Amino acid sequence: MKPLLDLLTTFRPHFTKGGRFGAAEPIYEATESLLFAPSTRTPGAAHVRDPLDVKRFMSMVMVAVAPCVLMGLYFFGIRVLFMIAVSYAAGGAVEVGIAMLRKEEINEGFLVTGLLFPLVLPPALPLWLVALGSAVGVLLGKELFGGTGRNLFNPALVGRCFLALSYPAALSGNWVMSCTGLWGRTLSYVDARTTDVVTNATPLVMAKKGVILPIDDMFLGRTAGCVGETSTLAIIIGGVLLILVGVANWRTVVATLGSFTIVAGVLGLVFPETFGATPVLWHLFAGGLMFGAFFMVTDPVTAPITDTGKWCYGALVGALTVLIRNLTGYVEGVMFAILLGNICAPVMDEMVVRFRLRRLRNER
Amino acid sequence: MKHPGGYNLSLAGRPSAQVDVLGDPAELHLPLRSRRFSFTDICVADGDVVSAGSVIARDPANHGVPLLAPRAGTVRTESKDGHIVLSDLGDRPACADEALVDALPGVQARQRLLDMGAWQHFADAHTGALPDPHGAPRAVIVHTVSFEPFTARGDALLTGAFSGFIRGLGHVQSLLEYQPIHLVVPEVNSALAKRVLDAVRGFAWIKVYPVPLRYPADNPRLIMRRLGGFAADAKHPVWATDVAGVLAVDRVLTDRLPCTERTISLAGPAAPNPRHLRLTPGYPLKALLGDAFGSDVIRVIDGGILTGETLDEGQLGLDVECRGLTLLPEATERPFLGFLRPGTDRSSYSRCFLSALAPRLPERLTTALRGERRACVCCTSCERVCPAGIMPHAIHRNLYQDVLEEAERLRVDLCVGCGLCSYVCPSKIELCSELCRAAETIRQETANAEGAEA
Repeated sequence: MKPLLDLLTTFRPHFTKGGRFGAAEPIYEATESLLFAPSTRTPGAAHVRDPLDVKRFMSMVMVAVAPCVLMGLYFFGIRVLFMIAVSYAAGGAVEVGIAMLRKEEINEGFLVTGLLFPLVLPPALPLWLVALGSAVGVLLGKELFGGTGRNLFNPALVGRCFLALSYPAALSGNWVMSCTGLWGRTLSYVDARTTDVVTNATPLVMAKKGVILPIDDMFLGRTAGCVGETSTLAIIIGGVLLILVGVANWRTVVATLGSFTIVAGVLGLVFPETFGATPVLWHLFAGGLMFGAFFMVTDPVTAPITDTGKWCYGALVGALTVLIRNLTGYVEGVMFAILLGNICAPVMDEMVVRFRLRRLRNER
Repeated sequence: MKHPGGYNLSLAGRPSAQVDVLGDPAELHLPLRSRRFSFTDICVADGDVVSAGSVIARDPANHGVPLLAPRAGTVRTESKDGHIVLSDLGDRPACADEALVDALPGVQARQRLLDMGAWQHFADAHTGALPDPHGAPRAVIVHTVSFEPFTARGDALLTGAFSGFIRGLGHVQSLLEYQPIHLVVPEVNSALAKRVLDAVRGFAWIKVYPVPLRYPADNPRLIMRRLGGFAADAKHPVWATDVAGVLAVDRVLTDRLPCTERTISLAGPAAPNPRHLRLTPGYPLKALLGDAFGSDVIRVIDGGILTGETLDEGQLGLDVECRGLTLLPEATERPFLGFLRPGTDRSSYSRCFLSALAPRLPERLTTALRGERRACVCCTSCERVCPAGIMPHAIHRNLYQDVLEEAERLRVDLCVGCGLCSYVCPSKIELCSELCRAAETIRQETANAEGAEA
């Protein structure tokens, strides 16, 4: 691969300050460092470093999301890939533009946001809305706060929240009916114009009307729903991998799902008319709860940094989801629950940190 | 006793227990500076002929700790900047004062330790500075282990000097009144550890303190914290020393010989034959390291790989405090799509590489940063690895925003500077140096405030 590196090196002068494409330096840097690990040396102690870097860290999330993408491809067709491409292009443009303005390097965190975002959208959503949502999510959710690592809210969910509030009709319709067979819809292109398979009803909508889908369909994902959210099986495979490699914290996942189960179960017993219409297990597999619990709540930047904080945060998100799903006009509450949790995360941290510092009080 | 945090790096290039004794070179270049000392008070003139073990210079800021002539020879003070050159080398030091009575009174013994070069093996467990030899410590911590790669191994020093070590412990005790000696031993079932435990079993004043085999469980400040009850103050510090220190005490008080030799490790991934060396301070580094020293291919580190400092190229000879020299290849390679590789050959603190499924293999590391600098992603690896129980990532956030008060509240002063947070950080943030700098600023500000009050 030496010739490629040499080629890149010959282009370098054009992309540095004063060169012909000086403003595009971040693009050059990103390309070069993506292909070739930098040979930067440690400035002093510690003289050696662990092989893990942010690129690897973020690639782990992408690997873990892969089963969900494949399931989306199977159930909702080749258009899923177009949605991902559009999301990357629009969000990437914002990311690169801001990096050039700030004269900073392009951050790998965007690779995750750009992939997670289309997975929480209805499969037949117009592509221009995907682009708009991705761009707004990256801009408002991340760049305004200073980029990856400094954001308060999950950028993918900020983008989705923006779309859900601005284009409620588009976001509550545009679902695609499930399919069967060996190849499913892998080779077909399904969008809003293919009216025979586009529907308005997700399992949660139907449940409000009293129609409860079988639980095995919910588990495998043979239902209408967001691109990556329908198949609980795929989410668990990816999510467990994410926990095993240590990128996601198991405490947050357990707390979210546990609190959801307990709150839904207890409220279902106490107020069977409001909360007891559907079994708790069914609710666990419905909508975006599993996807949110494994891939959104676990975002280390927007979750609390302390372990105790993570337990509280997960518990809050789980409980809020139950309440929003059953008591408000929305059929799905995971997105709002996580965004509300994001707001509370710093406060939870502060309380835990105070307690921990009290224990260190007499140390020196 | 709980030991949170810590991590053992899996690295190729550990020194073997073998100790090679090096002969005398043609001349010695004694540096006037070392990590803690600065020998500004020069006691000889250019051209003087000195005997082995005589005082060449002293450091007035550190209780007058001496720089001894390792061999007899002719002194030249001007020829090399920042060094004293000793040429026409002659005899090794001979036994001083044969006529001395067996047991010296405490005060004299302490002065003798200082004058004959054994005292520089002691440190204040809290600050790492040289303690006052005439002070009254609360306790003494004696290390038999050094977990940092690649500093001189305690077992290499102990082999062949076992009885001297036990005798030295007795001498250390005679310097004290009733204060205990905490002997730090590794939690292993090795023959050597068993021998040490058997030998000290009868001594009531030795308290054995077992530590897990995990860097930096041997850090004196951490041990001080774990032992508790040492609300350290300047008047009653805790002394820390190691095997080399106890052997030096034995040499001075039993054999009545000045400490003019050191055992250091010469190890690291770039060392052809990682081992221990016994040599005199001032040994020319060029002769020791060959072309590696001062080259762009190999980094020479004074001390271990996590806390050591890059050796100054202007330094000509081995200084009096060196515990080991680590040779680390400089990074030159740029692996193609490195982050996508399965990583069976990488040993990582995280579980993001396939090597997590196999036992950790020692890896031949370089000075590569292995990634780009990024903003913190709150992975909290630094917190899990931190032996001091603080949150380096949270402190970093506040230091990034220049809020020193908040960093102080988060107890940045507890940082022991072990370097593990910098090692594990996937965003490649220089956490350790950042934290150490902040802790130092806070310490100075506190001292200034106290000075203003007084």
